[in-house]
Amino acid sequence: MRLSCRILFFVSLLATLSSVCARADALIEGRVTLPQNRTATVMNKRYEIVAKGGVLAVNPPLAVVYLEGRFPPPTEPPRATMTQKDLVFSPALLPVRKGTRVEFPNLDDTYHNIFSYSAPKRFDLGRYRPDERPIPSQLFDVAGLVTLRCDIHEHMRALILVLDSPHFEVTDENGRFRLEHVPAGRYVLKAWVDSRTVHAQPVELKDGDVLRIDFP
Amino acid sequence: MSLHRVETPLRPTGFRAKLLITMMLVITALTAVVIVVAERNLTANVEDRLQSSFRAELETFHHGQELRQAALLERVRTLVRRARLHAAIEDDALDLLYPSATDELRDLMGSTRSAVADASTAYSLRAEFYRFLDRTGSLIPVQAPHGAGELDAADEAKLRLPQAPLTQQIGYFIRSGGVDEDTIVETIAMPIVSLEDGSVIAALALGFDAAALGRSASDLSIKRGVWVEGRLHMNGLSAEERAAIDRDLTQTIAAGSQNENGLPRLLGSAPHLLFYKHLNPGSLYPPAYEVCVYPLAELAARKRQIRWQVVAVGALLLLGGLGASHVLAGRLSVPVEKLAVDSAEDRLQRERAEAALESTHAELQRAARFSADASHQLKTPVAVMRAGLEELKSHAKNSPETADEISALIHQTFRLSGVIDDLLLLSRMDAGRLRLAIKPVDLRSLIDAALDDLGAQPDAGTLSITTTFPPDLEVLGDEHYIGLILQNLLDNARKYNRPAGRIDLTARNTGGELFLRVGNTGRVIGRESREHIFERFHRGSMGENVPGYGLGLNLARELARLHRGDLQLLRSEEDWTEFEVRFRAPSHPSPLRSDA
Repeated sequence: MRLSCRILFFVSLLATLSSVCARADALIEGRVTLPQNRTATVMNKRYEIVAKGGVLAVNPPLAVVYLEGRFPPPTEPPRATMTQKDLVFSPALLPVRKGTRVEFPNLDDTYHNIFSYSAPKRFDLGRYRPDERPIPSQLFDVAGLVTLRCDIHEHMRALILVLDSPHFEVTDENGRFRLEHVPAGRYVLKAWVDSRTVHAQPVELKDGDVLRIDFP
Repeated sequence: MSLHRVETPLRPTGFRAKLLITMMLVITALTAVVIVVAERNLTANVEDRLQSSFRAELETFHHGQELRQAALLERVRTLVRRARLHAAIEDDALDLLYPSATDELRDLMGSTRSAVADASTAYSLRAEFYRFLDRTGSLIPVQAPHGAGELDAADEAKLRLPQAPLTQQIGYFIRSGGVDEDTIVETIAMPIVSLEDGSVIAALALGFDAAALGRSASDLSIKRGVWVEGRLHMNGLSAEERAAIDRDLTQTIAAGSQNENGLPRLLGSAPHLLFYKHLNPGSLYPPAYEVCVYPLAELAARKRQIRWQVVAVGALLLLGGLGASHVLAGRLSVPVEKLAVDSAEDRLQRERAEAALESTHAELQRAARFSADASHQLKTPVAVMRAGLEELKSHAKNSPETADEISALIHQTFRLSGVIDDLLLLSRMDAGRLRLAIKPVDLRSLIDAALDDLGAQPDAGTLSITTTFPPDLEVLGDEHYIGLILQNLLDNARKYNRPAGRIDLTARNTGGELFLRVGNTGRVIGRESREHIFERFHRGSMGENVPGYGLGLNLARELARLHRGDLQLLRSEEDWTEFEVRFRAPSHPSPLRSDA
C-alpha cells in the first residue's frame, strides 16, 4: 500500500512537473453516483471484485473516472504495482495507462499464480514465491479490462483497467473524484462503474478552468 | 347271564400284530414329521445363508461403488472451482476452456480399458472423456481434441441437458460403436457455479467407464447388468430371460418403485432372484437401473441335496425305529399274551362253572318241586289210611292184639305225616318259596309252649328241666317257624337224653342278638359225626331205638338261617351235649326280606 502510494506520488509528481512546463492547468471535480452497497460494510477497506450476470464490479463500489482524448505518448513507460497480500489483490481495481508495466509482488507467505484470460492481455505468471526476483510484471499495452485471477486461490480476483489516457482517478467510496492538471482541450470525460456501465460526458477545458461534473 | 354272551376272544397273536402296526405307524408318522421339519429348517437355513451372502456381496459392491462415487464427486466438485475454468468461461475465453481443462484434469483422465478390464468389479476412477455444457445445457464444442477424450457426435448429444444443472447429475448411456460388448458409460455432470453470485454458469460432464456394472461378481454367480435407454445390458442371458426382466423393469419404472429386496421371479424356466437399483434417482439424465440376477439353480441343487440327505437319514431312523418297535412289541406283548391266555382259561372255567351251576339250579328246582309235589301227594293217602285205621280200631269185635296192632299202625301214620310235613317244609325252603311273617315274638311263651308239649311225651317224666332267662326274651321272626326250631331242639334233647336226665335252657341277650342254649345229658355225639349232624337224613350213631328221620337239626338250622340267625353245636362231651341258636332281637329293627 505504502509502496503504491509512493509510486502514485511519483507519477503525480511527474505530471505536475510537465504541467508546470506547460503552465496551463484545468481541474475537473465531481461525483459519480455509485450503486448501492451489495454487502455490509467491508472491514479494513478490503475491496473485492464481484460478478453478477457476467458483469464485473468492485464491492464496495468504486468508479474510475478518466479523460479520453489525444495525449502525447509517455516519455518513459509508466509503472504500477498490484500486490497480493493476505490472499487478496490490492488494489482490487487498478486503472493504468496503456503501456504501463505492472508489477505483482507477492507479500504472502505462500505461492500465488496470477493469470489472465482476458482478451486485452492474456498471461500466466506461473507460481512464484514472495522472494521471487525480479518481481514478476506484465506490460499492458492494449486498452481494455483485464481480469486477474490466482490459479491457486480461486477466490482472488482483481481488475486492471487499461486506459489510453494519462488522466484518470479512482473515486473514493462516495464517488467523489478530482482530476487536476488537465491540459486545455476537448475531451470526453468517462466514468467506469462496472464492466458494462461506462458513463461519458464531453468536456472542453480552458486553462484555469475548474469544472464540476456529476455523473448520475 | 353271561353264559350266553357272545364274545370274540382276544387272540394273543393278534394283539402283537396290532401293537406292532400301531408302533410302526406312530414311528413312521414321527419320522415323517421330523423329516419335514428338518428339511424345512435346513433348506430355510441354506436359503438364508445364500441370500445373505448374496446380499452381503451386493452390499459390498454397492458400498464400494458409493465410496468411489463420493470420492469422484468430491474430486469433480473441487475441479469445477478451478480458477482457470472459471476464467475461461467468465472472462470470455472459451478458446482456452478445453486447453485449461486438459491441464486441470490431467490426473483424472487417462482411463485405459485394458487396465480396467483386469479388475472385474472395480469401477474406473479415471475419466474417459469430458465435455463442458454451457448455461443452456448445450455442449461447448471442442476445437481440437486436446485430450478431452474422443466422443461421437451421437454420444455427445447424449450428454446434453435441458439446462445447466443446479446439482450434480449422474447418467448412464451406452457408447455407440461398442462392437463386441456393451460399453456402459457413467456420466457425472457437475455444475460450475460462479463464486460471486452462486449462479450456474456452465457444467462439466465427465465420462467414466462403467463396464464393471455389466460384469458379474466373480465368486457368486450373480449376473449384473444395467437397464438404460429402455434396454437391458447384461451378458449371458437368454432372450426369454432378457424379455422377462425388461417387462418387469418397465412395470417397476411405471410404478415408480424399487425392488431391492430381491423377490424371486421366474425368468424363463428357472427361478431367479432379481434386484433392481435405481442408479441415478432424480437425475435429469434418463433413468438407469442396476439389475442383479441371481439364479436359484444352485440353491435348488443344494436344497435337493439336503432333501436327499434328510430323507436318507430319515429312512435309516425309520428302519431303526421299526426294528426297535418290533422288538419292543414282542417284549410288551409277552405279559399281555400271558394275561390273555390266563383270562381265556379263566373264562372257560367260569363258563363251565356257570353251566354246572345252571344245571344244578335247574335240578334243584326240579327236585324241590318234585318233593313238594310228592309230599302233597303223600299226605292225602296217609290221612285216608289213618282214618281207615281209626275206623278199624273202633270196631268192638277186635281182639286186644288186633287193637294194639291197629294202634301201632295209626302211630306210624302220624310219624309218616310228620316226615311228610318236614319234607314239604324243606322243599319249600330249598325252592325259596317259604314266606316268613317277621315280627317281634315273645320267645318265652314259645319255649313254655314247647316245654308243655315236651311234658306230654311219655318219657319226659323222668327229666328235670331248668331254665335261665333274662327278663326280656323278644326276638324277630316268624312265630310258627321259631316254634318249630324250639320244638326240634327240645325234642332232640328229650330223645337223646338218658333216663332221669337233665335239660338246661339258657338265654342271654347281647345287644341286638339273642342266644339260646339248649343242653342235655345223654350220650355224646361222636367226633366223626359232629360235622354231619346238620345234614339231611343223618342220624349218626344214635341207637335205632331213638325215633326220628334225621331231618330235625337240618330243618332247625335252615330255619334259623332264614331268620338271619344260626344254629350250631357248642359241645358234646362227658354226658353233655349243648346246642346254641342265635336270633335277632327286635331292638334293631331292620327290614327283613320275608322271602329268602
